[in-house]
Amino acid sequence: MTRISFSFPLANGLHARPASQLREACQRVAARVRFRNQRNRTCADADSVLELVASGTLKDDPCFLEVSGPQEHEAARALRIFLNRELPHADDDAPPLAAPSSGSAWLPPLFQDGAARIWPGLTIAPGLGRARAVHWQKSAPLPQRFAAGKNDAKKELRLFRNACREVESDLKKKAAAGQERNAVAIIKAHLAILADPGFRERISGLIAKRKKSAGQAIGETTAHYARILKKSPSVYLRERVGDLEDLAYQLGEKLYGPSQAKARRPLSAPCIVVAESLTPSELLGLERRYLRGLVLGAVGLTSHTAILARSLGIPAVSLPHAGLVRIDEGSEILVDGRRALAILSPGAALKRYYRMEKTTAGKRRQQLALLNRRPAETRDKVRIEIAANIAGPAELGLAWRSGAEGIGLFRSEFLFLEREAPPSEEEQYDSYQQAARSAGKRPIIFRTLDIGGDKPLPYLALPLEANPFLGYRAVRFYNEHADLVCCQLRALLRATAGSGRLKVMVPMVTTVDEVRRVRRLLSEAMAGLRERKVAIARHIELGIMVETPAAALSIDSLAREADFFSVGSNDLLQYTMAVDRGNTALAGLYDPLHPAFLRLLLQVARQARKAKRWLGICGEMAGKIETLPLLASIGFAELSMTPQRIPEAKERLAQLDSGECRDLLRRALRCAEAAEVSALLAEFNGRGASGEVISADLVRLDSSCRTPAEAIKELCDRLELNRRLSDSLALEEAVWKREQTFATDLGFGFALPHAKSAAVRTASIAFLRPARPMRWSGSSRSVVRGILLIAVPENGGDEHLRLIARLSRQLMHEDFRLALLSAPNAGTVLAALRARLAGG
Amino acid sequence: MKIVAVTACPTGIAHTYMAAEQLEKTGRKLGHGIRVETQGAMGIENALSAKDIKEADAVIMAADIAVQNSERFTGKKIIETSVQEAIKHPEAVFGRLGKD
Repeated sequence: MTRISFSFPLANGLHARPASQLREACQRVAARVRFRNQRNRTCADADSVLELVASGTLKDDPCFLEVSGPQEHEAARALRIFLNRELPHADDDAPPLAAPSSGSAWLPPLFQDGAARIWPGLTIAPGLGRARAVHWQKSAPLPQRFAAGKNDAKKELRLFRNACREVESDLKKKAAAGQERNAVAIIKAHLAILADPGFRERISGLIAKRKKSAGQAIGETTAHYARILKKSPSVYLRERVGDLEDLAYQLGEKLYGPSQAKARRPLSAPCIVVAESLTPSELLGLERRYLRGLVLGAVGLTSHTAILARSLGIPAVSLPHAGLVRIDEGSEILVDGRRALAILSPGAALKRYYRMEKTTAGKRRQQLALLNRRPAETRDKVRIEIAANIAGPAELGLAWRSGAEGIGLFRSEFLFLEREAPPSEEEQYDSYQQAARSAGKRPIIFRTLDIGGDKPLPYLALPLEANPFLGYRAVRFYNEHADLVCCQLRALLRATAGSGRLKVMVPMVTTVDEVRRVRRLLSEAMAGLRERKVAIARHIELGIMVETPAAALSIDSLAREADFFSVGSNDLLQYTMAVDRGNTALAGLYDPLHPAFLRLLLQVARQARKAKRWLGICGEMAGKIETLPLLASIGFAELSMTPQRIPEAKERLAQLDSGECRDLLRRALRCAEAAEVSALLAEFNGRGASGEVISADLVRLDSSCRTPAEAIKELCDRLELNRRLSDSLALEEAVWKREQTFATDLGFGFALPHAKSAAVRTASIAFLRPARPMRWSGSSRSVVRGILLIAVPENGGDEHLRLIARLSRQLMHEDFRLALLSAPNAGTVLAALRARLAGG
Repeated sequence: MKIVAVTACPTGIAHTYMAAEQLEKTGRKLGHGIRVETQGAMGIENALSAKDIKEADAVIMAADIAVQNSERFTGKKIIETSVQEAIKHPEAVFGRLGKD
């Protein structure tokens, strides 16, 4: 037996996703593998995802893989590579797991009046909903539901297997029935548990050896795993319990007939369902058109119920247990997924406030949708394409939905891995054509096979190497396996016949000769297809990935053979810094902000520009929002990243000025260390943007706002919709805190709410004239006809502060005040403000 | 009279300058010589020189927060008021100069 020891690298512990990857890696090797956690002394068969997850393994736990079998040494080597290279990145593309947001404890003064009962909780799913409360009746807890059966083990085993088959068939039908994407993922998770050898063995064991009934065995097994998961300090693992219980109910229903839950009255009017807990199936069973929101007991953010609520767009808030009991059936309740509140019987003023929020939320959604569709560009209108890296056609939908303008990297390995024989030309053609058709006019760059000794393939006998990453991989073996490569090229040429355009790139290039060789293979492929009289793309571009230092330093010569370049920053950084990115001991060195790396990138960009070749970048660095200002000025025509990052990248790009970014780059290049560059970036990113403090959208006349609460909200919302704020709630809080120190109405019919906040991106002024004058602070008898909101960023430049100081002084002059209060339209107000700001 | 003044409000973005404007406007209207130092988000502007203070007949401190370098004014006649008062009732503030 060979033992491999390692420290578990993932922040979320050994949950389902890495557990399945670990299981797959173990299945690829010809050996038996057992997993052991040294800290909590659990062990698991690496074949069972459930057992692996149930081990309760957390980050930094000392673990072992025990490998046995005739080829255990080779197997151990392959597994070591998996543990170093792949396992640490199992969660990379997963959406960032934010902690459940509890909203600020602070609320505007408005929330303090009236008979409303306000409960702070945790946001499970965003959104706003207001309707009558309906309590959800929960069926009895699990273990009691399963009756003891007659002790006929054979019969109970048969009943169990039948129930499994039926549930499996039901689930597969549901998955195929075109359900919403997350519902499908959840159904697949249930199928995985059902098929899990650990799960089945334990239940069968209880039936056969301990004479339990099928129902009891299922109940006990579920409880066993649930206990383990619930005890885990990892929130993520705790939240998987819902899936187990859901599956147990489904099996129970097959064994004992439909559960009480089916006897529930269907929803018949808009309502907010109040429940201590809800399984995913129960949520899916609710009549969606009447469901306006959910108030739940303790529910985890990553539980499938929460994920479903989010993807179905159902606002949901979780309250501590006691809160649920005090909600009367039928009472009006408001769920605020933004502030994380459940509000019972809101009064008229609160209802008005929330109606405004609903309108603003609608506008926010529209804006996001628009942003998705618009091409990405900087504030000064410099275009930089934002594209997606994907690993197969399954991710195309997500890429387009996230607003990708193209696919900067279509990884083709999914077609080649985990199979005995290579994929046929037809099979490849199907996948590539699906991608090409889905892309339509949008550019899509396919990467040819990028594989090495770390991922052994039976049909591609690559030699065993001490160091596969400096070894015989990717383009280096193309000559030896020319047939394989030609087959892929033929499939690509055919698949893009429709769009007429093929962009294909070669990984791991170090010499010009390699590119020439691939061109020859490409010509061969084209000739073959012409002979077969098959249609192919007319416009063909052969590019290369720049991921070796040699390539980075010879762009001029490579440009003679390559039509375009795309920087693979992951590998290029590894080779440049001489660091294995999987080696946690060296994590500090794997930093793209090292000035040497930036200089290298700049050189690549300069040479590419000189040679008039298109240059993109498709490594992890492209998706790091903080480094965007640097990437934007180095000279990349395209940044390709994981789809989840795209909306934020577009948003951030729109705030950047390319001149300022170039300036930042110049300063970054003068730094000696990554830490200095990082500090520069932090200061730059924390700064407010420059630009005009006022604009037409920030002037609102004849507003229906009746109270200071509404006026301040309206003004903060406007600033947010105009991208001048990252979070209107943060500014609202800052403004109110200032307001409560000293009221800002100055007499003269004006109020001047203002604040400094980290949420402010660029210093701004917004003006509101209510249709009817309003009373500002409670005690004063002054009435306010004009409200000017001033918002400045945390590290704002003096330039803006000066403008605002000037404007404030001008407000002390009656003629200016009169101009603002009596201007016939927003245009006149804007002109008056601009004139005074300019010193006129 | 020759008057010097300092204005300082909590956030230092707007009211500090409004108070300064009011004091300057009103002071001039009443025929006084007036110089106002502002202590705000941009730091100290229009700082009062030792000469200004020496020649001043009175100091108006319109502040809602502690005034920086206030030891400069020891021995001078000081009128303390709030930023609000300076903005809303500047004439009344100057009115207090006549008393004593």
